[in-house]
Parts: sequence; structure tokens; C-alpha cells
Amino acid sequence: MVATISSLISSTESGDRAAADQLFAALYSELHGLARRQVARAGSEVTIGATTLLHEAYLNMSRREGPVFPDRARFMSYAAKVMRGLIIDYARHRRAQKRGGGLDITTLNDQVAGEVADAKELILISSALDELATVDPQLAELVDLKFFCGFSFAEISAMHGVSERTVQRRWEKARIYLHRTIRRGAPA
Amino acid sequence: MPSLNSDRWRIVGPYLDRAMEMAPGERKAWLESLRAEDAALAADLESLLEERSVLSREGFLGDSAVRPPAPASLVGQRIGAYTLIEQIGQGGMGSVWLARRSDGRFEGKAAVKLLNASLVGRAGEERFRREGTILARLTHPHIARLIDAGVSPAGQPYLVLEHVQGEPIDRDCDGRGVGVEARLRLFLDVLDAVAHAHANLIVHRDIKPSNVLVDADGQVKLLDFGIAKLLEGEGGGGEATALTREGGRALTPEYAAPEQIAGGTITTATDVYALGTLLYVLLSGRHPAERALSSPADLYKAIVETEPQRLSDSVVERKGQTAERLAGHAALRSTTPDALRRELKGDLDTIVAKALKKNPAERYPSVTALAEDLQRYLDDEPISARPDTLAYRAGKFLRRNARVVAAATAVVLLLAGLVGFYTLRLAKERDRARLEAQKATKVSELLTDLLTGADPYGTRGPKEPTVRELLDVGADRIHKELAGQPELQAEMLTVMGRVYQRLGLNDKAQPLLKEALAAGRRAFGPEHERVAQTLNDLGVLLDEKGDYTAAAPMLEEALAMRRKVLGRWHQDVAVTLVELGRVYSDQGNEARAEPLFRESLAIRRKVLGDYDHETAVSQNALATVAWHKGDLAGAESLFRQSLAIFRKSRGSGDPDVSTGLNNLALVVADRRDFATAESLLRESLAIGRRSLGDKHPRIAGKLNNLSNALREQGKYDEAASAAREALEIATPDLGEDHPQIATYKITLARVHLAGRDPNGAEPLLRGALRIRERAFPPGDWRIGVPRSLLGETLTALGRYDEAERLLIDARAALKDIPGQQGREAEATRTRLATLYEAWGRPDKAAAYRVAHAAQ
Repeated sequence: MVATISSLISSTESGDRAAADQLFAALYSELHGLARRQVARAGSEVTIGATTLLHEAYLNMSRREGPVFPDRARFMSYAAKVMRGLIIDYARHRRAQKRGGGLDITTLNDQVAGEVADAKELILISSALDELATVDPQLAELVDLKFFCGFSFAEISAMHGVSERTVQRRWEKARIYLHRTIRRGAPA
Repeated sequence: MPSLNSDRWRIVGPYLDRAMEMAPGERKAWLESLRAEDAALAADLESLLEERSVLSREGFLGDSAVRPPAPASLVGQRIGAYTLIEQIGQGGMGSVWLARRSDGRFEGKAAVKLLNASLVGRAGEERFRREGTILARLTHPHIARLIDAGVSPAGQPYLVLEHVQGEPIDRDCDGRGVGVEARLRLFLDVLDAVAHAHANLIVHRDIKPSNVLVDADGQVKLLDFGIAKLLEGEGGGGEATALTREGGRALTPEYAAPEQIAGGTITTATDVYALGTLLYVLLSGRHPAERALSSPADLYKAIVETEPQRLSDSVVERKGQTAERLAGHAALRSTTPDALRRELKGDLDTIVAKALKKNPAERYPSVTALAEDLQRYLDDEPISARPDTLAYRAGKFLRRNARVVAAATAVVLLLAGLVGFYTLRLAKERDRARLEAQKATKVSELLTDLLTGADPYGTRGPKEPTVRELLDVGADRIHKELAGQPELQAEMLTVMGRVYQRLGLNDKAQPLLKEALAAGRRAFGPEHERVAQTLNDLGVLLDEKGDYTAAAPMLEEALAMRRKVLGRWHQDVAVTLVELGRVYSDQGNEARAEPLFRESLAIRRKVLGDYDHETAVSQNALATVAWHKGDLAGAESLFRQSLAIFRKSRGSGDPDVSTGLNNLALVVADRRDFATAESLLRESLAIGRRSLGDKHPRIAGKLNNLSNALREQGKYDEAASAAREALEIATPDLGEDHPQIATYKITLARVHLAGRDPNGAEPLLRGALRIRERAFPPGDWRIGVPRSLLGETLTALGRYDEAERLLIDARAALKDIPGQQGREAEATRTRLATLYEAWGRPDKAAAYRVAHAAQ
């Protein structure tokens, strides 16, 4: 990869589509690689949470990229989107083998049997989320962080510098939107 | 259910926000009034609000898409000699399971901790097993035993522990309404257990209520002894404890000792501190750093810097704390707030404060000593700990600020004269440098951790960034990310500014301190302790840079503010007095410096006593003034006194002793006893080289002085090589244009002149003159010195016109006052006479000879 994450982020923010794709790819490979190494190191008995994975990714990348790296909250807002992509990709990939339960991030490694609850529903949520992002990107990001990455309200409130109550309220609002959108799209 | 398109959502959204903020009753009325205006909007809102409660009930999207693996899969699994029964806990370290012996014996019930493999992977399996064996030998009725530690064939590290059913000690005591005395007796059992472990060389490192359980029989049991260490990297510091994560979130290090936050050495004193915190909580129901608990950043800072509120004060009504809460805390101890305060006031205040000292060496030397004091209290005997006295607090303040004082002294080499004159330093230079580097690392680590989210496993990449790189990142982030917290920003900017200053990066330090000043004024108001501190720091920095004209008003303002806010007799006032005195002294204004030094000496004598190191520092400053005034006898006596104090308080190999010898030598040299001066300087130099290293800038100053003493004795070769070495050492460190460099050049030039080599002297003197003309105001006598010497040089070279101009200028600048300046004035007259004689104007020469003779 030639461009640094920070330059990709700034290009993305000034509307460069190609940079946005590159950024997604870079973060994707970072997170995927981390998850893979984690599984290789820990074995199937121990798992690493999505939040931990994101923290580690941030630390790794800021170590590599140095002081010019943008702040953590911005990193997380991009990485959370990528994390969703990672999960959805996996969900699609494993659709045939669905069983009960959520998705364990370590199962992103294909060697470990993974379980995806309702891949279809995840995909529905994801596309509703894409729609929400066009109306209210902040709310969409919150869902990425909360639902797809497992951050707590407290962590998100710290990240964005708003109160936990505000985060909670935004979350409820986002949930209503998603629910309506999914219901609307569902066959009657 | 009606679908909402995006446009509609944008309209309804803000109303929905408002509705969600309202209490249900309020909301209903609001909706009604809205309906009158826009019925469709009200209907949409009602429907959305209804959906909101349905979704909450259903838990829509309640589970994260990503979650830990189902724990059920591990039931029945065999770990060592045990079979897992059910999960009883989950944390960042891993999961905790109830297990029974696989051979079916019921009494063999145990708790099994399955640890996150990445934690142990670092420490090494072998070490994990070895340490586990040591911990397993620890048996005490109040310690939950570690039965086994190992790594399963599948690579899963685990600990098997005695299974304890109980409540955390604070909750248990509150639940049973246990009174203060009974709490103390229970706490003594805790201390007994910890003392036993310490006797076996095991430090707990993570004492907190959840690790101190009380079982159904009212017996305490300590859990997880030494586990924190077990999980730590080989040779690691205490970070693992502070940064241990629980449930994926950073654990607030509520019970961490300052050295654990700062990455210092973990000792039994670390447990003493945690026990102090626990005792504080048990007795008062409050946390010693309660006001800082809401954010990890504040808590870190409070633990390292802020003295906790006095125990008995914590149960008194205060701003932001309701009477009901206080009554609640008291009721849990079966008493009233007033009675509780009376019970805690006095000895218990003192005992808890001693356990909570920031400096481990000031805490109780052992857990047993703490237990003994508590026992004495229960037995109504006098306790061993002494309450904090004013002198103690003052001393502590000075120690805390030693850095600032020392930094100021560092560059005050530039004293009125020709020879470098050292002021005293407070600690071994190298030790402090190391300490500062550690502090710098700490600050940057802290920043990195605070601002990037703590690295849960304390991993560090293979390519460690330098302290400076980290600092730069930290400074950048302070700007960006603390913009909303002006107080913290001001403080952190000050901290960073000081660290840069200590690392010698003054150009980086200055803008930060300036910003800190502006931020501090905004955050704390125009006149505040903190603002005064920053003004003081900035003044010191400017003084170090040699910018005396800017330094003086800063320090004057700091002084006025400190006097006003803190009162005349405060230690901070003494610190600023010395700093300001030095600036004036550096400018040659001894008359203004002297009363400042005297006042600082009076404050320190009163607060610290006659024989304190700090008192000696003030004494030394005053001696310097006496010396410059030509009061050799007074100066010598003051120098000898302070030297004696330094020898006594620091030992004979200390840099301060070296400095004292150096200063004394200068006074002796003024008596023209150069042989004694030489031997004092050689001793000073030897101590300096040993304690500071050969390349330290202060070595340069000593060499400069030695050069002068040697030259006066006619030992020109030795004198020249000493002066050359001084320049070689100082130039890379201070830069070509530093006034100190001018002094050394002059010294070397004098050797050339004495050895009849004016060609060698000329460029040195021109360089020195250029530096001093820039550094000092026009007409300053110190500019006169190189002018006069250059006049002598040019006379020897036969360039009389320029020599005359220079000597007449010098003559005007140099006053006939006792001391260095007077001697230079006298020498200048002689040089003028010599010039006119060489020029063939004996009448003019005679005038100077006559004036000379008349003196």
C-alpha cells in the first residue's frame, strides 16, 4: 500500500471515491489479518472481541504510521464501517451453514467453524443502515459501533464527547429508523 | 405501520429528539398542543414513540452482531484435575468457572480461571508454571489458595483457585451495618493475610474490594494474590494492573498506587497504598479521589498528583453533596454523620494519610507497621504516624518543584564576570536526567494511553518510538483533543512544556508554556496559583535562554500573584524570589537581587530551618551577591557554611559539593591565593567529572575557572588546554552565541595575551564582544571587558586608533566599584597608559598613571 491511512482518510473526506475504496480495503486487510493472527495465536478456545480488535488495529496502525495519524474517534468511525463489511461478507460467505447464535469474530478465519444467526437479517440491517447513512450519517455510525462492533454506550459517549444519555437516545432513534426501513422492504 | 421517507424523517427527527428528552407526563401535554397545530406530525410522533417502546421491549438489535463465543461449549471440559461445571464470571483476563475434581470428590470444588492466551503468551508458559508453583505454596486462613496453574494441552492457560463464596468487603460491611471499630478489626485480618504474603516475598498488586471477600461466616478471604504479576511480561513494570481490562473496557484503576500509574517499581509499599485506599473506602464510604472518578484521565492525574481529601473531611457536608448521602454513609456504619466525623478525625486521618503517601518511602514501611498503628488506635495508645506538619508540606512542595528550581540554576552560570560561577543544584545531575527521562516517558505513555485508548495487553511494537516522538504526538493531541477541557489542557501543556524544557528543547517548551499560560488564565481566572506557576516556569525558561529582559517581568508578575494568593511566607514565594533574584543578578543588578535572596532565605529559614538544603541554596545565592559586591570575607563565610551543609546532606561526592568548592575557590582566587584556588578547583572538577560525566556543561565552567587560576600562576600551557576543553564541551551544548561561550573565549584570550600572542587573542575577543553586545544592554560593564582586552590586544599589534576607541568605551562602562568590575576598570586605565606610551603620547599616558597611583 502506497498511500498512508491518514492521507486516505483526508482524501476520502474531501470526496475522493477511489480513496474511500482504498481506505476500506486497507482497513479490511488490517482487521482481517489481525483476527487471523489472533486465532492462530490463541486457538479456538479463546476469542477476541470486535472492540479489542479495533483497538489493536488502531494501535498497530498508529505505531506504523506515526504522529500524523488522525484521532481515534475518526479512525473508529471508518473502521466500524469496515467491520460491518467484514461481518456481512462473512455472513454471505457462510450463509449456507447457518445455525443459532451470533457471529464470533474469530470465525472470520475460515478454518474455524463459524455460526451466523440470520445472515439474511444482517444483510437487511446493513442495507437499511446504508440508507440511514444518507439521511443521518451520525446515527448510522453509531449503529456500526454499537451493533456491529460491540462498543458500549459509555465507550461511544467517550469517543464522541457527548453524554451517555444522548448516545442512548440516538441509538433508539436509529433503531426506529432501521426497523421501519426493514419492515418497509420486507415482503408483505 | 406507515413508512417514512427520508424527507419526512428529516422533518420529524428533531421533534422526535425533543419528545424523547421529555418526561412522559410532559410529553403527553406537549403532543396535545402540537396536535392542534399539525395533526399529521403529532400522529407520526405518537407512532414512532410507540414503536420505540415496542423495540425496547423486544430488544431489537439488542445483541451485538459480534459476541464472545458461547460459554456453554466448555461445560464438562476437563482442565487439569478439574471438570468445569458452570461459568461464574467473565472478565478481560478470561472467564471464571466453578469446577469439581474430576475424581468426583465433592470437597474438591474449586474456581478455575481460563485466561486469555494472549496474556500468558507474552509471559511465557514456563514462567507461568514456575510462578504458579510459588504462589501455590502460599497458605493462610485469609488467603484463597492457588491450587494449580498450568497450560492445557490445547494451549489454554488456567489457574485453579480455592472457591470462595462471599461478598466484597465494602458491600458486606455496608450490608450488615458494621460500625467503624468492627470494620477496623476485620481490616486487621486483611492486613494479617497481606503481611503473611509479603513475608513470602509475594506482593498482591491488585488489592480492591472485589478481591477481598467476606464469606457467610464473616471471615475475610483475599483472592488473586500475585496473579497480576503472573500475567505480566518478564521484567515488566506495574502496567498490567492499571491497564487490566475487564469486560472489554478499561478498568478504572481506582486502587492503583502512583507508582503503578507511573510505571515505577512495584514493592510491598504498593500494597500498603491499595490497603490505604481500601481502608479509606471502608471507613468513610467515599473514595480518596472521588471527584476524579468520572474519567480515567482525571483519576490517573489525581492518583499521581493530588493529595487526597482528609478522611474525616470526606464525610462532612460539602458543595455538591447532599445531607441525605452523608446520612446514608453514616447509617451504613450504624452512626450519624457528626459522630462518624469525630470518630475518624485525628489518628485515623493520620493513619490513612500515611498509607496513602504518593512517595512509597513515606508510607508505612510495612503492612505490619500499619496494622500495629491500627491496633494502637483500637487500644487507645498513641500511634506512630505523625500528622503532616507545615514544614513537612513545605518540604514536599520544594521537592515537587525541585525541577523548576534546578532548571533555573542550570543556566545561571552567566554571572557578572569573567568566570563562570555556579549556583547550586538540588540533586545529582545524572540521576535527575534519568528521572526526567523516565517522567517524560511516563507522561508520553500516559498521553498515548489516555488518548489512543489503553493498549489492553501492554504490547509495544518492535520499533519503540522515541520519547520525543511520543511527546510530539502528545502535544499535538493536547491541542486537538483537550480543547474542551481548558483546565486539563492548561495543566498538560505545562507538564509537556516542562518535560521539553528538561530535555533541553527550549524552543518547543516556550510556545507550549505560553499557551499553557493563556489556557490557564481562561480556565482558572487571571490570578491563580496555577497561573503563577506557569508564569514562573516561563520566566525560568526565558532566563535559561538568556532573555533576561523578558524573564524579569514574567517572574515579577508570578511573584506578585503568589504573594497575593498564597501569602508572603509561602514556599512558592521563596522559589520565585530566588528565580527573580537570579535574573537580576544575571543582568548585573545585584542591588535588586540582594533583597530578593534575603527574603527567600528568611522564608526558608522559618519554614525549613537553618540547616536545610534549600536554605543553603538561598544562602549560596546571597553569598554570590556578597562576592559581586566585593565583600570577600562575607562571601567566603557564607560559602563555607553552605558547603558544610551540602557535604552533610549530600555526601562528599555530590555535584552540589563540587559546586560549593568551585564557588569557594573563586572567592579565594579573589584574595589572589591562586594556589589554594587551584587545589579547590581540582577537587571540584574531580567530583564533577565523577558525578556529572566529562562532557557536562558544568564541567566547562569549572575548567574555565581552573584556567584562570593556572594563568595567574604562569602555567600557560595547562591554562590554555583547560580553556580549550571548556569551549569544546560547551559549544555543542549551548550554541555559538551563548553568553557563556563569550566568557570561555575571553578566558582563552587572556591566556594568549599573557603568553604574548595577541594574534591568537584577537579573533576570540571579537567573537566574545559580538556575543556580549547582543546579550547585554549598551553600556553594560560586561561589554566593557572584552572591549578593554581587545584594546590591549590591538595595542600590542600596533593598531592604536581602534585600540583607543575601544579602551575609552570600556573605561566609560567600567565603574570603580569593589570586585571584578573595579579590577577591570583599573586594568583598563593601565591599558590606556600603555597604549599612549606605545603611541608616543607620554602626557596622556601620565594622566592615567597618575589616576592609577591616586586610587
